[in-house]
Amino acid sequence: MLALLDGIKSVFEALGRVHRLLPWLVAYLLLLPMPQVITLIFGEYYVDLANRACLFVLLSVGLNIVKGFCGQVTVGHIGLYAIGAVTSALLALNYELSFWISAPIAIVVTGLAGVIVGLPSVRLEGAYLALATLGLGESVRIMLAVTPELGSSNGIMLIPAPAIGDFIIESFNHYYYLVMTAALIGIYFSFVILRSSTGRAFQAIREDVIAASVSGINVPFYKLLAFVISALYAGLAGALFAHMPPGFLHHNNFTVIEMVTLLLMVVLGGIGNIWGGVVGAIVVTVIYDQTKDYYFYQPLIFGVTMVLLVVFMPRGIGGVIGQAIVRRKFIEKHEEQNLGAT
Amino acid sequence: MKHWNKILAGVATGGLLISATAALAGEIRVGITMRMVSENGQRYGQMVMDEIDLINKAGGINGNTIKATLMNDECKSDKGVANANKLIFQERVHLLMGSTCSSVSLPIVDITAKAEVPQIIPHSTSAKITQKGSAWVFRVPVSGRYYGGVNAKYVGENIGKRIAYICAADAASQNECNGLQEQMKLQHGVDPVYVAQVQEKEVDFRTHMQKIKSAGVEGLMVSAQAETMSRALIQSYEAGIGSGVRRIGASMASNAPVPKIAGDSVKGVFYAAAYASADTRPIAKLFNEMVSKRYGVHAPDHDFSQAYDMIRIVEIALRSANLELSSSSLKSDRTAIRDAIANVKNYQGLASGPISFCADPTPQCRDGNRTPVLIAYKKGGEQFETEVLARVTMPIDFGL
Amino acid sequence: MGFDFNSLLAFIIFGLTIGVVYGIVALGISLIYSGLDIVHFAHGEVYMFGAFLGLVLSRDVGIPYPMALVGAMILAALLGVFIERVFYRRLTRSGGGYTVAGMGMIICGFGMSVALMNVAFLIWGADAEPFPVEFVIPPLEVNDISIPPSYLLTAVVSVFLMGVLNYFLRKTKYGLAIRAVAHNKDIAFLMGINVPMFISLIFGLACALAAAAGVLIGPMQSVQVEMGYLMLMKAFAAAVVGGFGSLPGALLGGVMVGVFENLGAAYISASHKDIYAFLLLILVLMFRPAGLFGVEAKVKA
Repeated sequence: MLALLDGIKSVFEALGRVHRLLPWLVAYLLLLPMPQVITLIFGEYYVDLANRACLFVLLSVGLNIVKGFCGQVTVGHIGLYAIGAVTSALLALNYELSFWISAPIAIVVTGLAGVIVGLPSVRLEGAYLALATLGLGESVRIMLAVTPELGSSNGIMLIPAPAIGDFIIESFNHYYYLVMTAALIGIYFSFVILRSSTGRAFQAIREDVIAASVSGINVPFYKLLAFVISALYAGLAGALFAHMPPGFLHHNNFTVIEMVTLLLMVVLGGIGNIWGGVVGAIVVTVIYDQTKDYYFYQPLIFGVTMVLLVVFMPRGIGGVIGQAIVRRKFIEKHEEQNLGAT
Repeated sequence: MKHWNKILAGVATGGLLISATAALAGEIRVGITMRMVSENGQRYGQMVMDEIDLINKAGGINGNTIKATLMNDECKSDKGVANANKLIFQERVHLLMGSTCSSVSLPIVDITAKAEVPQIIPHSTSAKITQKGSAWVFRVPVSGRYYGGVNAKYVGENIGKRIAYICAADAASQNECNGLQEQMKLQHGVDPVYVAQVQEKEVDFRTHMQKIKSAGVEGLMVSAQAETMSRALIQSYEAGIGSGVRRIGASMASNAPVPKIAGDSVKGVFYAAAYASADTRPIAKLFNEMVSKRYGVHAPDHDFSQAYDMIRIVEIALRSANLELSSSSLKSDRTAIRDAIANVKNYQGLASGPISFCADPTPQCRDGNRTPVLIAYKKGGEQFETEVLARVTMPIDFGL
Repeated sequence: MGFDFNSLLAFIIFGLTIGVVYGIVALGISLIYSGLDIVHFAHGEVYMFGAFLGLVLSRDVGIPYPMALVGAMILAALLGVFIERVFYRRLTRSGGGYTVAGMGMIICGFGMSVALMNVAFLIWGADAEPFPVEFVIPPLEVNDISIPPSYLLTAVVSVFLMGVLNYFLRKTKYGLAIRAVAHNKDIAFLMGINVPMFISLIFGLACALAAAAGVLIGPMQSVQVEMGYLMLMKAFAAAVVGGFGSLPGALLGGVMVGVFENLGAAYISASHKDIYAFLLLILVLMFRPAGLFGVEAKVKA
């Protein structure tokens, strides 16, 4: 299993040496026939599940930027998701804008909202920040629940599906191409950010705020930037969620339980580990779907998993696998050296 | 890392097992999505499954058995949509039942319309459900548009015209609250004395009660889900609003937790619902006995009766439908079931009046039940008692 | 309806009576924060468990209400000690406060909250349960404002509990030790204080307070599995307003939140009621993170 992962990794690294975009292109091409494969093996419903998994991948990768890279504890991410979804939906319904215009506007609006959610981070840390963001996220949900213009009790209905000309993207398979592309681009940019100077600034802030500011990093700016970037991800995911057939939004899709699920995804994958976040999102979505028959125990299982993960495996799946790969390499190298010595 | 291998293998085999449940001929597949978070929700979900079991044990439908899949949507639209997709595209159901919440039924109507799967709704009152014009949806409960009319008539004639309203923010409560306000204006030309929109799970109503007390009203409508309504009723007495002010409940007052939680405060509360357990017809008595024996409920509320009526209507329709039930006839079987349900006329069941459907995709045709029953609580507590005040069959176009 | 002084008075009284309950839950949160440097996100569920335990004791076991209150407090304290020993102990070992492990604690708290809520759901079901208590005293009538005995009792008991806690912390040897642990664990340890034991004690005390709030509020609002979350948010707001780690602040914060939200619901909009508490929380956090009452918050590098 590890050898397989290692093998894939080295193949992609080799591709990356040819051109840095090549591995992503190959990955994209590999993911393209997935709906057909999934339909063949599991059935077409699982394409819908894959679509939802892609949305959660976007959310969890976005959350990882602010949480994992920059070390800021935010619990208001689901509120940003809601803002993205509702903005795009209302623009499409009230101003009859096409998805291709309403979604970017929604992303920008969510980014601006990210500034607001991020503002407390300038002054607050840790638990205080968690409280402030939790309050903001919940306030968004309550506003949706009580404002008739934002859907209130009946929700927002009949949000049109995205269309290219006369072609409406509404079947599971077609929507897959949209969300998969978005998710892959999201993952790619998250790597770009991680490796850029911005990403290093984030990590410096995570490790030691004082040291970071001494080394000339504008700490408040970068903290805000992390929030804004993660908000952009949430906005994109929200817009994609809103327009996904049947195009219905209701405030109870954005409660604290959903936020906890998101947290679980990030924690399961490993905080700060991009691939971990992706795996976490997929695993949680799939397990959630497959354990539907045990709905009375689901929160218990999820909650206990979260607690146990934090206590016993704080670096999540990503961390464990990463460590295992490193250990394997170390052993291999050691053995080679031993062989060389004898 | 051995266990990761095991987990991945487990996930893979789990997926394969699910895909292996291939379609079997001679099986009518029915999918149900319901709100199973409340105790009554669980019980009447169980009742639906038990009733289907009984049909199967008695020989099934024309030799075919019904295979039912029950899912919980927690009254959340995203979960309901996922359930509907899974039932339609994975389980390949012939008929979808659900949901119990308007905010979940609304998006599912769009899915079933597009996928061309008949959908029958056990307990969602939002008038918008049938106004969408889907040819595939049928509603067993009384539509919200009828409640406002009967409530306003009774309130205006028997309670008074100075009414205060406390309405929770959830869909059903809002619909009934607005319905009564509109109809009071239309029928009696009066505006509300006091209106407060409160949160869905509000716990403290004392500020409103204080204001209502000083406003001097003849009636107080509390439109909210069971627990919220009970709290408001209790607090209205605590605040000193005497029993001279009649309390008006929404149809959710029918749910069993209300008399249990509110206790004596529920006495005298007037509300309209689809079924009264105080009904004296033999069919109702038998049903009451059956439910209290099987599920340990003191008296079934209209959630039970509507779910039961739904199963009976589905049974009638399935018996009359000409079903092939092969793997290639899914589409034609679904259409046949839809047409069979549309052909159900004058079904006399637990509902206070006859239930009839017809083929047009209009609210007139698809809101089958037009007879709300007016009820008042005589006694609260676990062993609560109610009385039937009146039954009113509404005109078919009412509220459109 | 024009402005009416009597109504205003009524709304303030309503806010006060519910505010003291926020206050005692906030007190627990403050205590845990000062002892362990963490914000306990599962505290709302401890409150809910306390309410249910009180209900079971008084309705099913049949012991009188005041004894049920004490019983629920003891049981919830044991629950708290269990949670702390089994889970938080490991996390505190790897560093608390604002470290990455601190983030782990927040996530751990959320997970525990969801899990505890589900456990309660499996035991007691989803429906609300009435908590009938016979109060012998009649409701208090002041100027057309009626205050039911349950609220009076709640206010009295809450203030009494806070008084006892204050006496315990200020005047006893154990209280001194707790304050020392809260101030600086390393120095307390060097001084020969059994720090782990006192942290468990703090957790137990905090959970007992939450349970007391639950049992007190049960007769007014009935008992339900989901009741913890909303109370937690209000209590957080109260703790923040009063300044984390400040005990009198927690009480004042609770009262402020209660009055603020009641006035908001009465004069602005009732459907936004919960937002007022969040608003207060965010504003205070943004502009006076140490709380309104000037207690210096502990800041860790």
